[in-house]
Amino acid sequence: MKPVERARALARIFLVTAFGAAAFAMPASAQKQGGAITVGLELDIAGFDPLKVGVYDTAALTASSAIFDTLTYLDDKGEPQPKLALSWTHSEDFKTWTFKLRPGVKFHDGTPFNAEAYKANFDRQKDPANKCRCAFYISAVNDVQAPDELTLVVNLNDPAVNYPALVAYASQNNAVHSPTAWKAKGDDYNRNPVGTGPYILKSWTAGDRMILEKNPDYWDKDKVYFDRATLKPLPDAQSRFASLQSGEVDLIWDDEYDADNIQKAQKDPKLTVHTFAGSGAAVYAFNTKTPPLDDVRVRQALVMALDRKKWSQALNNGLARPASNPYGDGSWVKCKDDGALPEDVEKAKALIKEYGKPVEFKTLVTATPRGRANGQILQQFWKRVGANVEIEQVDQATIPPRAFMRQFQVTPWRIVDLADPDVQMYANFHTGSPVALANYSNPELDKLLQHARTTPDTGQRIEDYCAISRLINKEAIWFWTFQNTYYAIASAKVKGLPKMYSGVIDVSRAWKE
Amino acid sequence: MAFVARRLLYLVPVLIAVSVLTFVIASLLPGDLAYVILGDQATPENVAALRHDMGLDQPIWLRYFGWLGHILQGDFGRSFRTGQTVLQAMSERVPVSFELMILAELLGLAIGVPLAIACAAKSGSAFDRFMTGSAFAMLSVPSFLSAILLIYLFAVELRWLPATGYVPFSEDPLANLRFMVLPALTLALAEWPGIMRVLRSDMIAALQEDYIALAKAKGLKPSRILFVHALKPSSLTLVTITGINIGRLIGGAVIVETIFALPGIGRLLVGAIYNRDLIILQGVVLLVAAGFVIMNFIVDMLYAVLDPRIRHGHA
Repeated sequence: MKPVERARALARIFLVTAFGAAAFAMPASAQKQGGAITVGLELDIAGFDPLKVGVYDTAALTASSAIFDTLTYLDDKGEPQPKLALSWTHSEDFKTWTFKLRPGVKFHDGTPFNAEAYKANFDRQKDPANKCRCAFYISAVNDVQAPDELTLVVNLNDPAVNYPALVAYASQNNAVHSPTAWKAKGDDYNRNPVGTGPYILKSWTAGDRMILEKNPDYWDKDKVYFDRATLKPLPDAQSRFASLQSGEVDLIWDDEYDADNIQKAQKDPKLTVHTFAGSGAAVYAFNTKTPPLDDVRVRQALVMALDRKKWSQALNNGLARPASNPYGDGSWVKCKDDGALPEDVEKAKALIKEYGKPVEFKTLVTATPRGRANGQILQQFWKRVGANVEIEQVDQATIPPRAFMRQFQVTPWRIVDLADPDVQMYANFHTGSPVALANYSNPELDKLLQHARTTPDTGQRIEDYCAISRLINKEAIWFWTFQNTYYAIASAKVKGLPKMYSGVIDVSRAWKE
Repeated sequence: MAFVARRLLYLVPVLIAVSVLTFVIASLLPGDLAYVILGDQATPENVAALRHDMGLDQPIWLRYFGWLGHILQGDFGRSFRTGQTVLQAMSERVPVSFELMILAELLGLAIGVPLAIACAAKSGSAFDRFMTGSAFAMLSVPSFLSAILLIYLFAVELRWLPATGYVPFSEDPLANLRFMVLPALTLALAEWPGIMRVLRSDMIAALQEDYIALAKAKGLKPSRILFVHALKPSSLTLVTITGINIGRLIGGAVIVETIFALPGIGRLLVGAIYNRDLIILQGVVLLVAAGFVIMNFIVDMLYAVLDPRIRHGHA
């Protein structure tokens, strides 16, 4: 590390810790200690052992944010702040990150939290013998070292200029589990998770309720208000909302497909609708190796044929926010020109005419009411410009394998809300990546993606990502439909809910008025 | 006793057929389990390796016998997602669904039987025609609709009963019943019309029998004729319907448990299907089917108790 760089790094540590302390010392005016919260989630949580469940869904993430801690958390501006890590520095090439850990933290079972414990978590997920689905998400990390009790060194395969922001939410990879607990409990660990977090799992009846009680020894216990949090899976959207109205639950997970209830709640003074405009979008990928989608004019025409406003109206009363690039309003990547193609039926017709041959292909949709609705809407848009699309309904679980094997012409996909676009953009568009679904290769695009991931300067990265967006939009290899918006509806008395980054509803620092 | 043994013997081929069907249907579900487990890690090599580990590359009949062999030793397997064994998961959930079905059946009978008797006693009257019509209307209301209507009325508007949730009976019997009333009522609303219509026509037929005329001639009280002489022979029909209803109730429980967020078998099944948790799916379907078959066996036995002709093979 050069002296200048070191000085900068030190300044960074200072700033990070100072801001971190400031964020944790925010006004304590209305916060009230005590009480309890009941949360209605959509799904039954399968468990917490990454080896078993692979990926945490939205329901598991709410629970894991309460039971576990992560190295960092994101503040209101989306900047990483200290949690289990107190400070961090990076090597010049952004391939090595060193975290200084918080001393004196203990897991709920008394095991001390230290660099070894973190390393044990990582190694267990990474070990090929464990065949963890979760390993995919840490493929960018080569190894983790624990040179001393409170120093953690993360060695990346590729540079990541924003790594601390990527480990901020309590995902299957970021949540830190007690190594003693998983070793002692074996198969049963999955449903008996042990973390360092603000809440301890008290009891859990499958399919019914999970009761979490405040951790009396939590390192930040003054900022944890509820004595108890109860999480319930309420799979049906109508009865979930009814349970909120009748006061049986204080807060519910929701999504924009439940537009009626969200709009009803917006008008109800007793309820508050919490929304978060995340980065990323719902997208579709064209397989550019299959005719007629191998012709850029056809792909452009199909994108121009869309009318996202009408689509949103038809799907969920206009709640869905149209997307013109892969980043969305929630991202720090803001483009003056993202190169979005115009929604222009006439131009689209002309392009199809120019192509000259009949445009016929198939699109995959999920065999759900939403999937079918989307398929029919696409069919109508495309019919208008002279393209015939056949809808192939497949099961949700069938889409990833079909996509990975490139057995599709058009497939729905999603870019999820993450703190940095690099991980997904690189995977989705760099030549040779298994998720580069479009089967498209362009040296210029590869160069831009590489540059964006190795450049520390945010301004420069924004320029790179905007150039990437222009290129993808022009080539029309993927198209974006709607931005990610996350919803939680709560009793107006519930306060202190943080921004729902990555769609995570974190109630661990909320309180009731 | 020979009758019971003969009937029990019939169960064996039925259960074998059920196990084959369960296994084949679960195997035919689209979406390869290896892909589901591996997710984004599903490279062709990883998939092949996992399929081999799980024995998915073996022919289906070999897998079936492997599965059956374990089951005969009492090992139904473990969920790949939750790590729970099938028996653990079932034992947690059976009490909920069982209670729901019993309550729904009792409520269905409580509504259906008195109405049937009242209609039969005054058959052809305005009341009878109104009730028969209402029963027909009720039969056409799907349970997901009546569930939501009941929730809005009793939970959101009146706030008498909770909309969703569950408390085990052992923990707090009263609270348990409060949570169970609406789901059970939802199912019962679909049950009583069938009970009422069949029992009504059965009793009307019975009331025209000669022995009823004789009873009337002997000067027996009309109520005694109705409840003892007409209802008892018709109760055989009631037992049949109750037995058949159990199958329908299991189906209805899937929907009702989802809407009311009851942690029963229906929810377990739906979750297993969505997650391709085939071990749970096969195990639970097999156990539920076995339960259904056994319930019907018990119904058969009840016939014999109620009607001696069946017991002696003269029916």
